[in-house]
Amino acid sequence: MSAASLSDHIPDLNLITYYAEKQQSCFSRLSPWTKFAYLILIILLVTLSGNLAILTVLYLVLLGAYAAAHLPVRKLFGWYTMPAVFVLSLVGIMAWSEPGNPVISFAVAGFPLVLTDKGILLVVTLLLKALIVVTFSLFFLMTTRYMHFSAMIYRLFPSPLDQIFLMAYRFLFLTLAMTGSILKAVRSRGGGLIHSIRVQGRMFAEVFALVFIRSFERSERVHKAMIARGFSGSYGTATGIPALRHAEYLLICAGAAVVLAVALMTPSLGG
Amino acid sequence: MTIIRTDPLSSPHCRHIDKERELIHVDCASHIYPDGSVGIHDMCFYVKKNEIVALCGPNGSGKSTLIEHLNGLLTPSEGNIAVNGRSITKGELTDLWREVGVVFQQSDDQLFAPTVLDDVMFGPLNLGMSREAALNAATGALEAVGAADLVQKLPNYLSGGQKRLISIAGILAMKPRIIALDEPTSDLDPVHSGMIEGLILELKQRFGISVVIATHDLDLAARIADRVCLVRKGSVFAEGTPAEIFYDEELLQETGLKPPQIVRVYRAYCRMQGIPADQHPISIEGMMVAIRGK
Repeated sequence: MSAASLSDHIPDLNLITYYAEKQQSCFSRLSPWTKFAYLILIILLVTLSGNLAILTVLYLVLLGAYAAAHLPVRKLFGWYTMPAVFVLSLVGIMAWSEPGNPVISFAVAGFPLVLTDKGILLVVTLLLKALIVVTFSLFFLMTTRYMHFSAMIYRLFPSPLDQIFLMAYRFLFLTLAMTGSILKAVRSRGGGLIHSIRVQGRMFAEVFALVFIRSFERSERVHKAMIARGFSGSYGTATGIPALRHAEYLLICAGAAVVLAVALMTPSLGG
Repeated sequence: MTIIRTDPLSSPHCRHIDKERELIHVDCASHIYPDGSVGIHDMCFYVKKNEIVALCGPNGSGKSTLIEHLNGLLTPSEGNIAVNGRSITKGELTDLWREVGVVFQQSDDQLFAPTVLDDVMFGPLNLGMSREAALNAATGALEAVGAADLVQKLPNYLSGGQKRLISIAGILAMKPRIIALDEPTSDLDPVHSGMIEGLILELKQRFGISVVIATHDLDLAARIADRVCLVRKGSVFAEGTPAEIFYDEELLQETGLKPPQIVRVYRAYCRMQGIPADQHPISIEGMMVAIRGK
């Protein structure tokens, strides 16, 4: 766990940026536009297709690409916790009302609960869809230099969204570092050990309040420093984004063809 | 130059120096913060062309508040600030940041952009330069501070010393006539402190920029300043050359400061040898000459 990493289950911004800047695989040399196009194609694909076989293959291919890019696979599994909890907390309830062949059935306070094969399939499918998008998003972030990524945001997003993003990213690092150092100070004096929920809750509330106050003070100082250099409400990025090469156009076309084929095969879309 | 002493509790009259060489004139300026605390009080201060002025004083004496006034971040509640003869109180100066650059104490507060290049280009773009001109200005400034190799780095991955260099480059790229640095060498290792010190001298000698530094580091002030202003209770309490100021023990005591190392060593040597400390060396070389002369 790096200094600013708060938990093994939360994506570590420092580590993500470290891999992005390291540029150690062929995927790093692809134009960010190619990876962005693939992100859209993958989102389209998981939206259109509910086919478990297609989704499993796609997930395995992405996991393979992730490993081939020398990215940390074990960390990735740790980072799956949050999206998995999110999906299960929503679909876990829906799965019980899904029609199909009963697999498990029992009654709670007189109410019958039935988990069907289609219910389980729904959970697995949606979980897989979430993990596919998370895996590729992290792959995209960890193989694209931040300067290119921020330049893309600047070009794609309207103001003030681009401004918020450009400022928020650097600020996130600082806030994480600040939170990390506060937690270290707490742990160094025996804090952070679970004595009781009340004590623990109060401690986290105090840390949160301190981080909030310090962040507020820092944002005032950052704003002051920007005004001192003539800030008048907007700023941009100077970085150019590597252009698409011919082979990359072909790669995108191939990806689009696959998505189209899947769309045509999907019964509800007329396949 | 002789020591000029002023009483912070009385209303002083600012001395008008050589108008031709005067870049900034702070004329009896006062600033009271919204919580009622006094930032500066009847502050009289000036900066001449091509000089390094050190503002020395204890914490809370008003050094940083004065620096923020020089850039227009704060405006005086009373008194006036004039840059190149244009007055801030008469509304002739709305863009003071074009003339006076400020390097803040915490580099992390100053470096907010995604990359070093974006950050250094931020000021030039605000000046209305084209992207190409801003890129040239930023590249030139990064080369001038010896950080050209950091151009594509993320600020997050820079050391404290590198961040300080980039902060200075961000101001230098705007080509100001005056640069004010708040505690320029605080929290830096000796190597980076030395680099910043050399850079401050270069700003004056190579670029002809006047420099104001607010510092606790009297050794730094002794080495590089042409003029030292002691700040106490929001006012300039005394000013003079480093030799004049730092050998006046009573003055330093009144301000709550200790003499620089070189002064203490020279005095200790003279005491040990039983000879009068009648010379005022402020550099190692100067001290060697003074000792050899005895």
